[in-house]
Amino acid sequence: MSREKLKELGLDLPLLPTTTVGSFPKPETLREARTQFTRGAISRERLEDEERRATEAWITFQQEVGLDLLVDGEMYRGDMVAYFAEALKGFGRGGLVRSYGNRYYHKPAIVGEVKWEGPITTQWWKFAQGLSSRPVKGMLTGPYTIMDWSFNEYYPDRKAACFALAKEIRKEVEALGEAGAKVVQVDEPALSVRSEELPFALEAMRVVTEGLPLYFVSHICYGAFELIYPGILNLAVDNLDLEMSNSELDLLELFEKHPFSKDLSFGVLDVHSHRIESAKKVEARLRAALRVLSPRPSGWTPTAASRPVRKRRREGRSR
Amino acid sequence: MDLKLTSAGSHPRVGDAPEDQRLRRARRLWEEGALSDPQYLEAQRVVTAEAIQEQVAAGLDLVTDGQVRWGDPISHVAGNFSGVEVNGLLRYFDTNFYFRQPVIRGPVKRKGPLLIEDYRYATSVSERSVKPVLTGPYTTAFFSIVEWKGYRDRRVLVEDLARALAEEVADLSAAGASLIQIDEPEILKHPEDLPLLADALRLLAAGKGKAQLALYVYFGDARPLLDRLFDLPVDVLGLDFTYSEDLAERIVSISPDKILGLGLVDGRNTRLETPGEIRQILEVVLPSLKADLCYLNPSCGLEYLPRGRAREKLALLSEIRRDLKGGKR
Repeated sequence: MSREKLKELGLDLPLLPTTTVGSFPKPETLREARTQFTRGAISRERLEDEERRATEAWITFQQEVGLDLLVDGEMYRGDMVAYFAEALKGFGRGGLVRSYGNRYYHKPAIVGEVKWEGPITTQWWKFAQGLSSRPVKGMLTGPYTIMDWSFNEYYPDRKAACFALAKEIRKEVEALGEAGAKVVQVDEPALSVRSEELPFALEAMRVVTEGLPLYFVSHICYGAFELIYPGILNLAVDNLDLEMSNSELDLLELFEKHPFSKDLSFGVLDVHSHRIESAKKVEARLRAALRVLSPRPSGWTPTAASRPVRKRRREGRSR
Repeated sequence: MDLKLTSAGSHPRVGDAPEDQRLRRARRLWEEGALSDPQYLEAQRVVTAEAIQEQVAAGLDLVTDGQVRWGDPISHVAGNFSGVEVNGLLRYFDTNFYFRQPVIRGPVKRKGPLLIEDYRYATSVSERSVKPVLTGPYTTAFFSIVEWKGYRDRRVLVEDLARALAEEVADLSAAGASLIQIDEPEILKHPEDLPLLADALRLLAAGKGKAQLALYVYFGDARPLLDRLFDLPVDVLGLDFTYSEDLAERIVSISPDKILGLGLVDGRNTRLETPGEIRQILEVVLPSLKADLCYLNPSCGLEYLPRGRAREKLALLSEIRRDLKGGKR
């Protein structure tokens, strides 16, 4: 079904297309530039030059290793939530809170009505797509995750904040679509932290994606996946991107009990380990998955998750 | 009814102002080897004294040391037991905070006293009584990776952890602590394990001497197991009101005789409650309580908030008490 959707969108992908989850490591020069920019030592233009240079390098890299569906690598983001919070109206920066050990971050706070005031990631998508003839995914963070990683001083409860965000994130999706994106990934890594909130999280994703002629992917990350499965199959996206290899595929047992009914981005590489898997090991993982998922191996996308996702799992964010 | 104000545990150790970030810098220097252990301890003590001072200034009757020296609620305690190694990071409940996961590789025994020195220091710099806080055996066991065969039955691990923690409780009681708080947030998700928790609490209570034990549960809806929570062998029960809309009415329907800790002020969100909205709930709950003492505290430790807002939340407790006294009651 989704294979047809990909075709309708003019995307001719091989049987098992390859892609990554989204973020790539920032090169040392860019990290240095970010520090300099924070200190006020260089201009925003200078920082953006570095960000563009780094994006170009990662596009080249992805083409060289032969990936089918590319990402821009998120060189312009420090954080998967604060980046959007800073761009949307209604957010304040929030004070410092500890995330673990000696790590602190500014947790955004919703202090007024959330409003999308113009494209946030679209320029970056255009830039990245302009560098390659292969499709580049639009990359967004979903409303539930942004809500879950922010204080809420304005909306009466978490649900109301989530829906307000969903309406505004949809506008960014529309902007990506108008710019020419065909595949948009709306990440919801926080989705499994409160399973009792799954119903409104699903409804919020519907608000983001419903009726838009795009192929949607969503990356679901840490947490107790078994608590939200099979309910998560009702998430209004075509493809779920799941980390599976560090849990030695125990999700497959779940899928045996209740068939997985979406396209799957199957994380065949474990980004939590520095060891690089052998091709044989990856093949074995893939074959194990195919046994469970084979009735319709239509559109799925084995995912080579990039290294910063390791951090994202640990911290719930890539910074 | 005597309404006493207390903290539910942690206090932010770092604030937005540069002078409020000394501990962050000290920790970095200590990790780099540029600061000795005693120098780092001194830095932690300065901030502990500040955390206590902020609680006293806000008008609290019973303060904590802010758990300023704790890496996280799980590994700080478990890391002091033999048989335990501390492993990688895992998200702590539905907070945006991560703890290090203990790996149990052998029988759990206390290596030595853990909290007593911090408790003594805290009392030496506090004008108010200090309440030591411990993460309980059930929650600690739940978040541990069990590799040792002897704990294939998790009950045995919970009991061994309880015995080790009972030694802490005994030390703290002997040092003069009048109320010792045991945190067991995970139990809210496993009502079926209440008998196991009750056994573990009995083991802890064996060491309590003259002190009272408080059980604090949070990060979840207490309603499904509320009546059974009141039966647990502890003197005080702390409840988080932020996960259930009608917890107050449920308490009224039971009319418990236990002393309660009411977590009405949200320790997780920066929105400041008004004294009036809290008073409305207190006016429902307080008349139904049989004890002549009740604690008012944030719904959980305050480290999930920026430091400035944590101070305001504490000050709010005093305002609520004033508002209540000046009100209709």
